[in-house]
Amino acid sequence: MSQEYYEELKKLIGQGGTPREALDEVCKPMIRHWCEAMQDGNPLYTNEEFARKSKYGGIIAPPTMMLTFTMPPLWPPRQDPPHPFEQFLAKLDKAGFLGILVTNVSQKYHRPLSPGDRVTFTYKVTDMSPLKKTSLGNGHFVTTSFVFTNQKGGDGGHSEFHRLEVRHWVGRHNSRGGRNR
Amino acid sequence: MTWKSLYWEDVQEGQQLPTVTMNISCTTIVAGAIASRDFTPVHHDRAFVQSVGMKDIFMNNATICGFSGKYLTDWTGPQGELKEISFRIGASCFPGDTMTMTGKVAKKYTEGSEHLVDVEYEFNVPGGRNCGGKGVIALPARGR
Repeated sequence: MSQEYYEELKKLIGQGGTPREALDEVCKPMIRHWCEAMQDGNPLYTNEEFARKSKYGGIIAPPTMMLTFTMPPLWPPRQDPPHPFEQFLAKLDKAGFLGILVTNVSQKYHRPLSPGDRVTFTYKVTDMSPLKKTSLGNGHFVTTSFVFTNQKGGDGGHSEFHRLEVRHWVGRHNSRGGRNR
Repeated sequence: MTWKSLYWEDVQEGQQLPTVTMNISCTTIVAGAIASRDFTPVHHDRAFVQSVGMKDIFMNNATICGFSGKYLTDWTGPQGELKEISFRIGASCFPGDTMTMTGKVAKKYTEGSEHLVDVEYEFNVPGGRNCGGKGVIALPARGR
């Protein structure tokens, strides 16, 4: 098999591109929907009175919800310039690797998100293995890293509050249904 | 309504967390996928997944992550603060599965002013271990 695509993909490793803004600001309806789906009754997320008396002074988002704010729109398609991460996925598609399965997730939470927060995130591919034989067929292990910031922080700058690493298996088994990320 | 608080002093290394079981339906899986804005067909479209040779739709990683947070802070109460979660995904979780959540306190320690515990946990489904991971949680300490 040609390893040309592999050399091309390696060039995109470490490229962060322009930071992206979440489509929606953090808000109570999205938080409540999440808690409903996850069956999470933690009152910090949905009980105004409890949350107001807590050290946070109000509702916070479940820390595990973070990745939700990075998800692309179903419609209409993004208009901003292609991100290196998406170029990476497009090249994988072309090389016939249509399936992605997440194998490992690692998240660190520095401070919680509150309604009204605007999340900005930087993401990039940080590692890619050579082609490996797995129980799902031949594939590459790809590690991506996300750093999340919000509008708060000193000097009008940004403060980092979440860090996330995801390891994917990418193979020819079509689990993605085409090019839908 | 009062909420329980688990204090750091009351936790021992090796202590088991309560076992929790959840019945996973199509609705559970689709609700989790949509609440996390994950529209990948394998998490909602049975005809599609079966056309590519899979048994059924399966739980997405964001829901496993959400369940991890729920399992850990249901145990500590709302004063338990998640600092880190990391997990490895194994067997897929399908509609009709019963998910069994178990965990134990692997380590109890302080770091700066924080009183921390590491919890090792896993979720099992009929097909095997769905996820195995570690959570780091800061707990309230008495008299501080």
